Order: sequence, then C-alpha cells, then structure tokens
Amino acid sequence: MKKILLIEDEEIMIDLLQKKLIREGYKVSVARDGEKGLKAMKEARPDLVLLDIIMPKMGGLEVMEEMAKDQELSKIPVIVVSNSGQPVELDRAQKLGAKDWLVKTEFDPQEVINKVARQIGK
Amino acid sequence: MAVAKGKKERIRRGEEDKVSILLEDLASLESYARDLFSFLPLPVCLISAIGIILDANPSFEELSGYRLEEIIGKPAEEVFDKGRLGEISKQTLEKGFVRAEELSIFTKNKKEILGSASATLRKTEEGEIVGYFLGFFNLAGIKKREKELRETQVALANILEDVEEARAKAEEEKNKTGAIIINLTDGILVFGEEDKLSLMNPLAEKFFDIKARDLIDRPISELSTFPTLKPLIKVLTEEVGEIFRKEVSLKKDLTLEMSAVPVLRKKERIGNLIILHDITREKLVEKMKTEFVSLAAHQLRTPLSAIKWTLKMLLDGDLGKITEEQRDFITKTYQSNERMITLINNLLDITRIEEGRYIYKPALTEFEPIVQFVVDSCKGEAERKKIKIEFRKPKKKSRRAMLDIEKIRLAVENLLDNAIKYTQAGGRVIVSLKNTPKEIELSVKDSGVGIPKDQQGRVFAKFFRGANVIRMATEGTGLGLFITKNIIEAHGGRIWFESEEGKGTTFYLALPIKEEFEGFLREF
Repeated sequence: MKKILLIEDEEIMIDLLQKKLIREGYKVSVARDGEKGLKAMKEARPDLVLLDIIMPKMGGLEVMEEMAKDQELSKIPVIVVSNSGQPVELDRAQKLGAKDWLVKTEFDPQEVINKVARQIGK
Repeated sequence: MAVAKGKKERIRRGEEDKVSILLEDLASLESYARDLFSFLPLPVCLISAIGIILDANPSFEELSGYRLEEIIGKPAEEVFDKGRLGEISKQTLEKGFVRAEELSIFTKNKKEILGSASATLRKTEEGEIVGYFLGFFNLAGIKKREKELRETQVALANILEDVEEARAKAEEEKNKTGAIIINLTDGILVFGEEDKLSLMNPLAEKFFDIKARDLIDRPISELSTFPTLKPLIKVLTEEVGEIFRKEVSLKKDLTLEMSAVPVLRKKERIGNLIILHDITREKLVEKMKTEFVSLAAHQLRTPLSAIKWTLKMLLDGDLGKITEEQRDFITKTYQSNERMITLINNLLDITRIEEGRYIYKPALTEFEPIVQFVVDSCKGEAERKKIKIEFRKPKKKSRRAMLDIEKIRLAVENLLDNAIKYTQAGGRVIVSLKNTPKEIELSVKDSGVGIPKDQQGRVFAKFFRGANVIRMATEGTGLGLFITKNIIEAHGGRIWFESEEGKGTTFYLALPIKEEFEGFLREF
C-alpha cells in the first residue's frame, strides 16, 4: 500500500482528500503545518507528499527548500496543492522540484487522484 | 511877353501834366483800395461817427447776410451787439484804434456770431472825422474748434481714466490669478516661447525641492541638469502629443499625475502648461485596495474550494448514495459555486493587472490553435442555446506571435462567451481570423442584442454591463472585457468593436506578429 503524506492546514480539505485517497486504496497520514510535515516525512518516509503552500509556521515552498537539502527527502515526489494558482508561485514550486500541482478551485478531487496515480501508481 | 507867356504856358502845361498824373494815380489808388476792400476775406465795414454804416465789403455782406444796399445807412447797433459796439466806437474815436475786442454780430436771419473786432479811425485830408473802419474776425469757427478740442480733451481724459481703470482691473485680476496660482493645491509649470520656463508656483518648487528663481527663463534642455527635475523632463521631451496625462514617480513617497496642456492664442501654440497633481495618497489607497482585494479573494478561494470539492464528492457518490432530488439541488449549488469561483478569479486577475504583474510568460506561438480550442470548447454551450458557431480561417497559415497562451485563451474565451451569452436562440456567431502584414486579426461577430449607443464608450470599463443585458442574463461580472483589453494591450495588440443595438456586435482584436511585438517591448 502506497503511503501519502498530506501537509495541509484546512480541516475540510484534509477530510475530503483523506477520504478520497483512502477510498482509492492509499495509506494517508496528515501534518497540519510545514514543520510537522518535515518531521513526519523523516519518520514515515512517504511515497508521495501532497503539499499546501500557505500554511502556519512553515509554508509549502520552505518545506520544499528543506527537502532539497536532504538527500533522502529530495527523492520524494511532491504535488503542490495551491490555493491561489499564481504563476509566480507555481513557477517557484516547479523550480524547487514539484512534480505537479493543482489549484484547488480549478480541480476536483478525482483529478487529484489521477495526478497522484500518475506519479506513484495505485 | 510871348516868352513869358510861353514859359507860363509851359509851366501851366507842366502843372497840368502833374495834376493829370496825380489824378490818374489817385484814380488808380482808389481802384486799388476798392479792389483790396472787395477782395479782403476779412469782413470790414465803415461806420460813421454817429453810428451809421456807410460801406461794407463783400465778405461783410456774406457774413451778415445783408446785401450792400440793405446795409448802407443802417444804424450799426442794429447789426452789432449794442453795448460792445458803443465801447469800441468810443475807444476808437478817442484813441484812433482798437485791437481784437470781442464783439457779436447779428446776421439778417437773427443768428449771433461771436468774433473779434479791430477798428481804425477814418479822417478826411482836412482831419475831419468821417467815421471808422471796423474789421470783424469770425471766431465762431475757432470757437467751435475750441469747443471740439475741449470735448476731445474731456473724451481723452475719460479714455485715460478708463484705461487706468482697466489697468487697475487687469492688475487686480493678475494679482488674483497670481494668488490662485500660488495657493493652488496643484503644482504649475508654464513653458513659454522656445520652451523656456516662464512660471513655477511654490508647490512645484516644493515637489522638486528647487527654487523657481534658479530656473525661470531657462529652456527645457537646461533644466534636466537639475536631478530632481529629470524624471519630469524625460517625460516632457520624449513623449509627444497635444494633451496627455501621465503618472510620474518622483521619489519613493511622491507620485504625481502630470497633465500637459498646450497654451493656445488664436489657435497658435504659445507654450505649454504643466499641471502636477499629487496622487501619492490615491496610489497608496489604490495599493491598499488591491492588496485587500487580493487577500480577500485568496481567503475566499479556500472555502469555495472546500465547497466545490465537497459537492463534487457528494455528486460522485464518494460520500454515499444520493437521491435524484438531492443530486439536482447539489448540481445547482455546484454551478452557483463555480460562478462564485469565476468571479473571484476575475477579481484576482484584475488586481494582478493593476499591480502590473499579469502577463507572465509570452512564448512564440501560433494563434489559430488557441482560437480553435476556444471555439471547440464553446460548441457545447452554443448548441444548448441553439446558436451556430462558424470559424473562418485564413487560407495561408498565420505567422507566429509572442503570446501568453493562458491569457490569450482567456481573452478569446471572454469574447466568445459574450457573443454566445448575449445572442438569442437561433442566432449565429462567426469567428474569423485574418492575416495583415504586421498583425493577426480576430473578429467575433454575433447576431445578438448589441450594445446601446450611449454606453459604447464604457464597454471596456471595469464592472461595465450593458443596460439591456443586465435584465437578460443574471450571470456576468462586467470584468471580462476589461480583462480582455488588458491582456491584448499587454501583448502590444489592439481591441475594438462595432455594435448596433438589436442587430449584433463584432469585436475585433489584432495581435502583432513577432517582429512587431519585440518592437513594442523595446518601447518600454
């Protein structure tokens, strides 16, 4: 069973994504800010990270900067879940190694599943 | 005797000759005097010692209106002012003459003429007083002229007074204008002949942190040596045009809106008036507003996403089976939510446009596939509304242009959305692409409701919605065309339209092909 770490601070998004991903047969763990996310990453070694950008304590982009410094963590594929979808932001995420991104208002949950499956399979 | 007689005779004859010569001389003298008397332009009459007119010359006849035969024998006091004449007569008889005494004459038709009289006594050879000559100098003309002169003088004095008054008024007006200019809450610069600075008000001095006296009468070209003036001079000398308005950022905390207005006298340009309006506060408020909208929009997106995803999962059956009625309601809610998301996205686009960070990544691209994509994606909606869409492509493939694909797609989408939205069932929309030497031109022609003539000037304004469509479709934010125009202009392109209410609208947009776009960028 593939492990996904969801780093997201919005309760309802956590609920929805968790539910959807579990239904699709993934094992999901959740971190509610960037700091906790990094810690969870080191402990749980997920197959994929779903990463929000704007979060308390440490934002998604900073999380990716930290990941890039760690040889092991830098190998974990990241899909950015962005709220704003601003080009500047997406561009930066891409440069930091994000495999894919989705803008919350523009995608629906099924597309998230499709993108996840494209990265790590079912 | 005979000799004596002869001598006597000779003498006598000599005497006779002398007498005859004398007589002749006398006769000719008399005729001379008479001629002179007749010819004299000065009216003269001879008055006897007891005051009877004995003779008068033609000038006197003319002046008095009496003929000679009427006047001879007439008492002089009937013709002249009695009192004055008595005085003159008395003096003349005593002294022998008078010079330039005032005297009035009454003409035959009872007109009084004021004049100056001179008189001289006339005696016989024996010293017997015959009377006196009276010469009359008509002063009426002179008096009249004098009167006119006095009137002219008065008029002149009046005019001078008026001029003085006008000058005082002008002075006052000038002071008033000066006070207005000095106290104006806008900075003023006036460039006169040869682009020399002729006026600068204190506020302008403050803006540029310089003293007007250091600059007055200096031409524009010299002014750029003052560092604070540089940004202004740059705009002034590089940007031509009759009347224009531009924002100039002078310092970090000072933004001015500069308006240049030509000063005309009888259609001839005699200078330039530069008005500098401090818009620092407005800019700050605008920035705060933009930031607020941006923040609010971002904050709104999160709950909207949550709603969207929740509804989607409900509809997908991820959260359990739902009834048809529930599905119906949820579908409608989902659509409402989508509209809200579109509105928020539009607002975000606008704040980006206003922050000047909208066009993000232009790439060398063909325009046609973008249009094709949009036409295809609109077909479903058009079919649902029973509207025919036609896409007319040029025979020759268009050259490529530097385009931000996402943004251009949005621009074309907005035009097509509008065409479909505001055309009734059974109508048609024709999308055509055309190549011109330097541009690719797209037109979107509909047979829709059109834009009311009185509103056509505001079509591209933010939140504009035609009065005739507000009633028709509840959807629409009034932001689409504003965004579209900004996208097209950021690409160096142009957008315009033709419309007639009730017949339809055609929107055109022209995008420069590659070389032109680079030229456009260089201008920045």
